[in-house]
Amino acid sequence: MAMMAWRAAPVLTLTIRQFLGGKTARVVLALALVPALFALIWLVRPGDISPRFFLVETFRNLILPTLLPIAVLLLATAAFGNELEDRTLPYLTLKPIGRWRIVLGKWIAVLVVVVPLLLAGLVAATLLAARGPVDTASRVSNGGDLGPVLGAMAAATVAGAILLAAVFVLVSLVIPRALLAGMVYVFAWESLLGRFLPGVQSVSIRHAADSIFIAVLNDPAVTFAGAATLRGALLTVVIVSVVALALAALRLRSMNLE
Amino acid sequence: MTDKPRWMPRPVDDIAPSSAPLPGLGAGVEPTIVVDRVSKWYGDVVAVSDVSFGIAPGVTGLLGPNGAGKSTILKMMAGLLAPSTGTISLDGRPVRGNPLIYRRLGVVPEQEQVYPFLTGFEFVRLNAILQKLPDPAEAARRAIALVEMASAAERRVGGYSKGMRQRIKVAAALVHDPQTILLDEPLNGTDPVQRAALIALMRRLGATGRTVVVSSHVLSEVERFAENILVIINGKLAAAGDFHTIRDKMDEHPRAVRVRSSDPRRLAAALIEIPATGAVRFDGDGAFTAETDDVRAFCRAAPALARREGIHVYEIQALDESLSSVFAYLVGR
Repeated sequence: MAMMAWRAAPVLTLTIRQFLGGKTARVVLALALVPALFALIWLVRPGDISPRFFLVETFRNLILPTLLPIAVLLLATAAFGNELEDRTLPYLTLKPIGRWRIVLGKWIAVLVVVVPLLLAGLVAATLLAARGPVDTASRVSNGGDLGPVLGAMAAATVAGAILLAAVFVLVSLVIPRALLAGMVYVFAWESLLGRFLPGVQSVSIRHAADSIFIAVLNDPAVTFAGAATLRGALLTVVIVSVVALALAALRLRSMNLE
Repeated sequence: MTDKPRWMPRPVDDIAPSSAPLPGLGAGVEPTIVVDRVSKWYGDVVAVSDVSFGIAPGVTGLLGPNGAGKSTILKMMAGLLAPSTGTISLDGRPVRGNPLIYRRLGVVPEQEQVYPFLTGFEFVRLNAILQKLPDPAEAARRAIALVEMASAAERRVGGYSKGMRQRIKVAAALVHDPQTILLDEPLNGTDPVQRAALIALMRRLGATGRTVVVSSHVLSEVERFAENILVIINGKLAAAGDFHTIRDKMDEHPRAVRVRSSDPRRLAAALIEIPATGAVRFDGDGAFTAETDDVRAFCRAAPALARREGIHVYEIQALDESLSSVFAYLVGR
């Protein structure tokens, strides 16, 4: 089984081994469990907030703008960052394989590790939230039905992770301090500026993921001004990801490796 | 799935139009590697300056003191660095931006680090898989046997000594049986037994018609495996050709050898009696530095004299600065 994985996707398998042997995956696991921790805190004093409202607000104000980008950033910048720091990248580039295959292997490895962890965190938070009071005066319609919320959160998380991983893999090949640059981007662009400047919000990765969340949830009570259609948001995810990965492959091809 | 070239690489005639024989090649010898008017600079710093040479099958030593530009040249030959000007080709194809070239080229990079979480076998097999070999596990076992690492192959690389890491890197570079092999300081960190085994391996590879290029800053090491040498000093090609011819020129110039022993004054007094020894300077830490115009004779005489006088010798080292001065001497000729 392991041998088959190595033969079918050597860069992917190598990178997953790299992640699982390092600290980064453990930090991402901790980040993924933050929503469940919030759910536990909420369960102690739920007030008049319904489980559904709690989940929607936690996802849109904590997970989408902060936890998801940071989790993806940590792994995506480590995918090439570890190799550049340890100077092991020549073991991959001095081989008769296309640069796009190296980039694709790294990108998929990020998704293979980050998506299950984040989804597990969302499921845990949803299961905990389901134990909360459903008969309170709901501030969101369909107060007790959490299945569609989990589905919408999962869809937006997967789409957001795909897009963020592609962009951050590119950033890690272009900017020497990619993690720092990514952090600035997450907090300044995705979190702070997006909250105050609607124009910034519409060109943020969060906007695309949030639009997917809104569209999949399909709840008139949950929306935001300027949300893209599901098709438009998915198209953004695909186009930006493909362009970012293509640029990353070109960058890898022209890079000087000391 | 196989990668197909998206464009046809330029033939070597376009890259190296000069009809004059390249430095480092005998008359009528076909080069495997052609380095044509290559320079590399970083901002204002020139690392390699207008270097041209050819390398034919056999073992060639890329010799020079630390910081001379050997690694930069080797990295450009491996396609890891783009030359600022000039071109480098292997078998008539440009190396840079041409991944298919690595089917015929094996590279042992300078860096020590190897994925610490993999076993030696997994690392070499990974290289075989990336080379798309039909039976990667068998190829890995063969390559590991070549460097005599079979007994440690199932251990994690993170627990290897420096010399073991060097050997597993060599196995990884040889796993696809390439025709051309570039090795950047492969003997660094190896013990005398490992060094002898690697040198024997390099000689065997050269004897079977492969083109083997080995960089080193230690003249006495290069002497043991290279028929031809390219001497690099200050980023320039100082000398190229047959090892012994160049070696003889080097020996004409006095060099410094540092000797550390239990009784430096008595050993220096004994050594000053032999014709190879010139001026002696005491370094104050149980060591002295002697000038000599015949390093080999000096290094043979020192242990013999020490044994006769009952003195323990801890270290005999030909100094890098001295080697550098020899290169400078060659450049000046």
